[in-house]
Amino acid sequence: MEQKRKLAAVLAVMLTAGSVLAGCGSEEAAKAPAGGAAGGDGKPVKLDIIETGSGLPSPDQDIIKSELDKALKTEINLTVYASMDDYKNQLNVRMASSNYPDLFLVDKQQLKQFSEQGLLLDLTPYKEKLKPTLDFIGEESVKKAVLGGKQFAIAKSPQVPYDTYWVRKDWLDKLGLKVPVTPEELLEVSKAFKEKDPDGNGKADTFGLTGGKLGAFSTLFGAYGVGFEGGAPSVYVKDGKMVHALYDGNIKAALGFIREFVASGSVDPELLANSGLQHRQKAIKGEAGIIYVDWPNMTKEQFVEQMKAVSANVNWVQVGALKGPGGAYASGWDTGKTAGLYAIPRALEKNPEKLQKVFDLLNYVSTKEGSLLVQYGVKGKHYNLEGEKVVPTELMGKEGGYFWLYQFTGRPELEYLKVKFEKQAPYVEFASKQPRIEAYNGFINYPAGYNAADADRYIEEELAKFIYGKRPLEEYDAFLKTLEGSMNYKAYLAEAEKRLKELGYLK
Amino acid sequence: MVKSLEDRLMNAAVLLILGLAGAAAVFPLMYVVSVSVTPFSEVLKNGGFILIPRSFTFSAYTQLFTESAIPRAFAVTVFITVVGTLINLVLTALMAYPLSRKGLPGRSFFLLMVVFTMLFSGGIIPTYLIVKALGLVDSVWSMILPNAVWSFNVLIMKSFYESLPEELFESARMDGAREFRILLQLVVPLSIPSMLTVGLFYMVGHWNEFFQAVMYVTDRSLFPLQVIIRELLMMTQQPLENAENMLPTETMQMASVVTASLPIILVYPFIQKHFTKGMLLGSVKG
Repeated sequence: MEQKRKLAAVLAVMLTAGSVLAGCGSEEAAKAPAGGAAGGDGKPVKLDIIETGSGLPSPDQDIIKSELDKALKTEINLTVYASMDDYKNQLNVRMASSNYPDLFLVDKQQLKQFSEQGLLLDLTPYKEKLKPTLDFIGEESVKKAVLGGKQFAIAKSPQVPYDTYWVRKDWLDKLGLKVPVTPEELLEVSKAFKEKDPDGNGKADTFGLTGGKLGAFSTLFGAYGVGFEGGAPSVYVKDGKMVHALYDGNIKAALGFIREFVASGSVDPELLANSGLQHRQKAIKGEAGIIYVDWPNMTKEQFVEQMKAVSANVNWVQVGALKGPGGAYASGWDTGKTAGLYAIPRALEKNPEKLQKVFDLLNYVSTKEGSLLVQYGVKGKHYNLEGEKVVPTELMGKEGGYFWLYQFTGRPELEYLKVKFEKQAPYVEFASKQPRIEAYNGFINYPAGYNAADADRYIEEELAKFIYGKRPLEEYDAFLKTLEGSMNYKAYLAEAEKRLKELGYLK
Repeated sequence: MVKSLEDRLMNAAVLLILGLAGAAAVFPLMYVVSVSVTPFSEVLKNGGFILIPRSFTFSAYTQLFTESAIPRAFAVTVFITVVGTLINLVLTALMAYPLSRKGLPGRSFFLLMVVFTMLFSGGIIPTYLIVKALGLVDSVWSMILPNAVWSFNVLIMKSFYESLPEELFESARMDGAREFRILLQLVVPLSIPSMLTVGLFYMVGHWNEFFQAVMYVTDRSLFPLQVIIRELLMMTQQPLENAENMLPTETMQMASVVTASLPIILVYPFIQKHFTKGMLLGSVKG
């Protein structure tokens, strides 16, 4: 009996040890990283920044970080997440547990959500302090992050369009065709690429058009004067009235033509399944002869090399806007879109010193010295100045791949691209100069009860059905009706009109 | 022994089916390994599909190990795996042994506590709050300690300990051994096969560490292998802003996949024999 009780006691102790040990270990570990907010007294201020991205080197090899730290007396801890899902998880958890990063990337939906929850700092009272930043991004960009009259984030400076059609000139030459200038000619070329064995290998293993999902048709929509960008309908102004692409008078004609295009059988059979940049892969492998894609993916040395390895005399040329019944536009171009919105947590209000450092950082990367640093790297190492002209060194090509992660307020796009992509300058120019339908989607806030993700998905699915002949075009009006009814699109359209008037795009 | 025709046919059928199943399992692996050692231009010429490489290069691997964050991440992962598994095994044994003894007061209560965590968990945010409160955020321990004990493995160990014959314990006690001595010198040596099995579960879990790293760690130098590799694989789908980024080729991607999975695959054959080995071989001599 005595023995049994003793046994019980020992066992109980063991059990407790087992379950508690984890806790002991953690206490020890807790002492090691004494992180957290550092005070003033000349000590560097720790800034936690999170965003999406990839390719960041470890902190000890990160030259931009060390230069910024030196210039600003900070200790920047930038963390980037390769996948949007991971990023959203991380951000949500940190917002919910009040372990806020000091500066972080948000999308429109998050901007709305977090600002409504009172988690974001209203920057309106600080506009004077942020003057260099606001000047740098420009008035248009400032508007992009205003919700209910309050400035909740900083939008990156505007970008320029990259996307156009590209056609295999060597294939055209072989088949005795010329570069298409109308939608009909594009269709002809696409058919010929499918049927006439342009690569001359005796196998029917090529097709005409490819691209990323419905985005592949942007220029065709443009030829009908209908604004589409990346497969999504644009909101624009025509003859002093707001037009939503789905309600454009020409939309049915455009869909009808695209339907004919698809029915020709010359379009990438996996078009709607192309995720990421699978379409580029198809172009490189010599399967497709027409592709709707951005210039970096067709002209970067890396890809050109790969194309040459597959077929030695490959020659892709850019094809701009096609002349059609509705004009000639390469695509819609959302001037309200931004490459990134950066927000500051409201909790930083209580830590003015740290807040000031965040402002300093934003201002620094927006003024000449800092902006040059985050664009091109260290002067004399990654680039040299010849007068005002930036001349990149070889090292920039090697190390410069991640600098953009620090461009929190963006960059002067065209100038920047021409330095970084000297050889590609003509392509940059061509894509950016194409006529596009100026759209304002990015400015429109989502009204209550409207779920953008659901609506976008429904639109994409139904458009695909119309284009692929799975749903007759006569049902187009029924489609709009469902959209307005069950997707609450009416509210969105009303909000769009209100917002466009507010911003002065519409009278 | 002469086999009947029927037997032989049966054997042939079984072999064929097993062979096909084996081929189906090896096929994707083959593809990954082959692409990783073939020059990328060669891959493209073959339409991106190569099963048996015709020309070899290990440049993708040299590049991975000299120019990327892989070596450091590799070290982090090895640390997590080795230290983590050791902690796991010690804690699991310490918990499972008392629970396996019938004489433990409140045994069913403690068991319920263990099982309860298998059915209900606190969710991401409360867990994050605890990890943060313990000061583990941004340390390598945040990838080890939150899952220091898996209830499921505790139950496996517990039922193994329960299957040890009571006579063993009695004889040990008769010789004057106390509980700790029984655990260390009797139970643990006897349970090597099950320890290894459970250890392997833990090990694979640590090797594939991803979620906790993404959640709790923001310091790049502490990212484990899987996070870095995922980044390499995701890079090809980045926004246009980073037009200047060099993208890893398919060859590079496959090489990184091999780097991530090979070490743990190599461990399997050494542990596998314990899976099937008789558990009580030679412990009680009749």
